[in-house]
Amino acid sequence: MIKFSNVSKYYKPDVTALEDVNLNIEPGEFVSVVGQSGTGKTTIIRLIIAEEKPSKGRIVIGGWDITNIHPKEVPYLRRQIGVVFQDFKLLPKKTVFENVAYALQTCGSPKKRIQSIIPQVLRIVGLEEKTERYPFQLSGGEQQRVVIARSLVHRPKLLVADEPTGNLDSINTREIIDLLKKINQLGTTVVLVTHNRDVVNNLKKRVITIEDGRIISDQDKGRYIL
Amino acid sequence: MFSIEFIRVVKFAFQSILRNFWLSVVTIIIITLALLSISFLLIFNLMAQRTMDVVETKTNVYIDLSSSATEEQANILINELKKLPAIKEVAFISPEQTLENFNQRHQNDKILLESLVALEENPFRGSLLLTVHNINDFPVILSELSQEDYANYLEIEDQEFTDSKLIIEKISDYSKKIQRGGMVISLFFVLISIVVVFNTIQVGIYTHREEIGIMRLVGASNSFIRSPFLIEGLVYSLISIIILMVIVFPLLALVQPYVDNFLKEYSTDLVAAVSHNLLLFFGVQFIVAAVITVVSSAIAVRRYIKV
Repeated sequence: MIKFSNVSKYYKPDVTALEDVNLNIEPGEFVSVVGQSGTGKTTIIRLIIAEEKPSKGRIVIGGWDITNIHPKEVPYLRRQIGVVFQDFKLLPKKTVFENVAYALQTCGSPKKRIQSIIPQVLRIVGLEEKTERYPFQLSGGEQQRVVIARSLVHRPKLLVADEPTGNLDSINTREIIDLLKKINQLGTTVVLVTHNRDVVNNLKKRVITIEDGRIISDQDKGRYIL
Repeated sequence: MFSIEFIRVVKFAFQSILRNFWLSVVTIIIITLALLSISFLLIFNLMAQRTMDVVETKTNVYIDLSSSATEEQANILINELKKLPAIKEVAFISPEQTLENFNQRHQNDKILLESLVALEENPFRGSLLLTVHNINDFPVILSELSQEDYANYLEIEDQEFTDSKLIIEKISDYSKKIQRGGMVISLFFVLISIVVVFNTIQVGIYTHREEIGIMRLVGASNSFIRSPFLIEGLVYSLISIIILMVIVFPLLALVQPYVDNFLKEYSTDLVAAVSHNLLLFFGVQFIVAAVITVVSSAIAVRRYIKV
């Protein structure tokens, strides 16, 4: 699903975000990417969604070489990847339904399709009763679930989540992680970037540890080792 | 698919205008002020052109018939002159009227008038009043009349022709100078307007940066992200033009008495003049406004959709 071959990313003037990273994530995997702040975890996410281009190396997503992806092709890549960030990135003046529908509206989906998909994804994340609420009327965990619902509307094969529990308490954190596990069980590959030790240790899934832009550990059913 | 996207783009554009209501109002006011300055320049040009046209149509030249000319010869001459394409009208003026006109024209030349009195009789056999289509054709007509065939019957005084031409040249010269000055001021104003409009639109788009970020994240195409802002620019331009139309006509009616007072018989009906050129007047300005707003939006939004 994701293949990084000797990928490096440098920022001017002399910042190394990633150095010679080799990575292979198979379809249906649940992978946690851990590491301390500033070690290059988010850079990996940004490279996967083509927000950045690698300085060196090659990146292939779902068989698509996106190393030198043309800007016009980026939207099509992003429709195949669900993205969840720490800051919820919801539109405050839109309801839950509208926020989730927005992802389909901006991609030209017909109204009928929107009307049929939104209730489905809101059911998956457990918000089918709160479709008419505004973000400020929801808890942090619920807001993050709206974001996850929005990321699912294109039925992505891959879901990348960058610190999705960073702003949540332990109860909401558990709920979000459970939701990600559920999505993974439905067949979606999940890449979770986190520095939450408990989350990683409880998952008992593959863990990739990054330090100073390099992979220092890659374990199946791994633990948080830093 | 295309029609769905188009309808959504238009919907998002109107939503954005309404959600940022006061910012939209400020943008529209700024564009309207910029257009108002362009309007002043256009109206001035129109007025100068009309005034020159009026001066030209009112310009005619008397050519006196010499004492040796008979009435028959005068009629032949009139018929000949009427055949010239440059001549609009030829009229015969009676000897009495010719004398009166001559006295009027030379009222400051005492010696000439005294010598005329000394003659004790009207020396004129009459005169011809020539009206031409274009003041610049006078030299051609004068050279035609200087031919030997006519020379014996005509007393050509090209002084008046020269005076008329001088008036027109002076008006034209002033008008060109004022136009140039107006153009510089207008360009300056338009430049300031572009900068202000550009920044206003940038602020508007800055308030949408999160929305743009989300659109990019969920896979909206760049054209879909950009289009609502371009439509927003067009809507701003359209509203500004409508406001301009509402402002301009009462404003013209208001200044009309002052223009009449200043230009007297050369004055122009400003409302009628603008109404007559309605499409050109407002169409050109709409295009100018649309180009400014659309280009500003395109540049401003580009910053946020860059990969």
